[in-house]
Amino acid sequence: MTLARPPIRLFLAARATLRLAALMALAVTLLSLGAMMLQYRLVETRMMEAQQALLTADLGGFAALYEQRRIIALRQAIEYRAAAATGDEMLLLQDRNGTLLAGTLTEWPVGLAPVGADFAAADAFEFTSLGKRWLAVARELPGGFPLLVARSLQPVDDTLAALRRGILGLLAACLGAGGLFGWLSARSVMGRIGRINDLADRVAEGELDARLPGERSADEFGLLETHVHAMLDRIQNLNRATHRLSDTIAHELRTPLNRMLQKLSKIEGQEALTSELKAEMRQAIRMFDSLLDISRAEADQGTGGGLVPVDLSAVASEVWELYEPLAEDKGLIAEARVTPGLRVLGDHNLIAQVLSNLIDNAIKYCSAGDRVMLDLSEQGDRHLMRVADTGPGLPEDLKAEAFERFTRAERDRGIKGHGLGLALVRAIAARHGARLAMPATEGGFALEIHWPRLQHSD
Amino acid sequence: MGMDERILIVEDDAETAAAVRAEVEALGCSVDHCDTLEAGVAAAISTPYKVIVLDRMLPGGDGVEAMARIRAGGSTALILILSALGRAANRVEGLEKGADDYLPKPFEPDELRARLRALLRRGTMQVLDNDLLAFGDLEIRMKARTVHVKRAHVAVSPKEFELITYFARNAGQVVTRMQLLENVWNLHFDPGTNVVDVHVGRLRRKLEDAGSPAIQTARGEGYIFFPKVTAG
Repeated sequence: MTLARPPIRLFLAARATLRLAALMALAVTLLSLGAMMLQYRLVETRMMEAQQALLTADLGGFAALYEQRRIIALRQAIEYRAAAATGDEMLLLQDRNGTLLAGTLTEWPVGLAPVGADFAAADAFEFTSLGKRWLAVARELPGGFPLLVARSLQPVDDTLAALRRGILGLLAACLGAGGLFGWLSARSVMGRIGRINDLADRVAEGELDARLPGERSADEFGLLETHVHAMLDRIQNLNRATHRLSDTIAHELRTPLNRMLQKLSKIEGQEALTSELKAEMRQAIRMFDSLLDISRAEADQGTGGGLVPVDLSAVASEVWELYEPLAEDKGLIAEARVTPGLRVLGDHNLIAQVLSNLIDNAIKYCSAGDRVMLDLSEQGDRHLMRVADTGPGLPEDLKAEAFERFTRAERDRGIKGHGLGLALVRAIAARHGARLAMPATEGGFALEIHWPRLQHSD
Repeated sequence: MGMDERILIVEDDAETAAAVRAEVEALGCSVDHCDTLEAGVAAAISTPYKVIVLDRMLPGGDGVEAMARIRAGGSTALILILSALGRAANRVEGLEKGADDYLPKPFEPDELRARLRALLRRGTMQVLDNDLLAFGDLEIRMKARTVHVKRAHVAVSPKEFELITYFARNAGQVVTRMQLLENVWNLHFDPGTNVVDVHVGRLRRKLEDAGSPAIQTARGEGYIFFPKVTAG
């Protein structure tokens, strides 16, 4: 009888916690990514400003020299600088014919047009040459002398690239750590929730006294376990109280009834009256037995305790055989189709009581010429038991409460009964985990009981 | 059933005990009575009783739970549980735990008498191990599961055969409807309708048609199987 549900449910629980953990890891990672991006932008801006400042200083120096001795001084200074070039600067001075006067290059870079004749660095532009980015100013000094002053942006690019690598590495570490931490905490949460789920499953299968072993921890899981335990204790106590109460009721009512019956048997000469009284007493006892059976079956509902493998087909045939002559004597057409060998986990006597109630009802309410039918067949993972008749059926207004205690139709007051039969049928069916259905019929009454099939492994 | 047969009553309700005592004495047996479980168990172990009539909700505990102690003490008495715990589930529980019979309260004196007789006979009765049970011109063959009256075959259903063998085993004694339902149909609840009557009626007619009025009604009590052994 192990259900396929728990592993799936556990898996879902695990996924819920895992989802939460992943979400948190993602949130932390995104936040750190934002912070790092901000820093990246800041570094980029500051370094570009530094390069710009260097360029401005260079141009300032050249401007001062040009003020003093024009091209000659400029040429000397550039020659001097080119000799000590570090590769981080690009300098070029040409004459009006494009001949090299001084510089780190020999040729004017293609595609660059000199603009203006001043030494301001404000309109510096970026361009790419020799596989590097440069921040440059190109001028044509009075007299047609093109001048190019540029600063390499390589240090900036190198630093930013290193920064990007660092950020990527940090992001990966962040995601990895978040994922690992999330997985670990999800696993621990899942394990503790799983324990409680397992307990609930055991209780649902009837093990009312199942409890979690060991100490309760001080956290909210421990509190949850404590609450679940308190709840189970209460259910178990109520169940015990119901059992005790039904025994006490039986004892307290049957003992005086017994004395009455003993005294009744001593009365002589009034046979008819005493036998009528005895029949009344028997009826009263049947009624409260049924009430006790109903409450006991309801208290035991869902608990597998006391149920054993029972040959449902055999019980059905036996009870049918018991009632068939009664139906025939009443002029009813009795038909039974019972598939042999269908087994359930059940209580032989309770199942017999269900059938006895249903068939007895059918015979009681039908009149000569009516049909009474019993079918038992396999249907998917259930055994379908159907008791039907072509009698008067249930009055429409009674259908909703047919399974409630003491429900009787006004028109049936003349027929012996106490209105507990169907209530007992429902309680016993529920005790066995069977489903009841009242299919619509063209006339008469039909009741279907879908019994859970006994697994072959049981 | 002589005066040498002793029966123990363990019952705390004085009136019930008196009623049981009256029935037992009517059967010609001697009676001891205890009104607590402890006294009952002690008596059951120290004296060889034929039958013990045992209540369940006694001062000192449940009679059903005490059966194991009585058996362990060496008693071979047959135990009849007589209890207010009379629902089908209680009866099945009592029988499964080793009771030889279980009668719910309130009980009719006739019912108790029939059951006590059946228990008293059980020890002395010839077990039905022989294939042929002959009651004059009525013959029951156990292996072939056939019934013959005056050498003519009487067709009976399997249930009717079980019914007639139960009657035969208790020949000469009143058998109640409740006993038949319990022993032939293995049903331990009161179906409310006298379904048993229909079955006994059919078997009875079959036997009568064949010329054997073996089954008779014991008014108010049940049935009695009383074939005329000397007929022929």
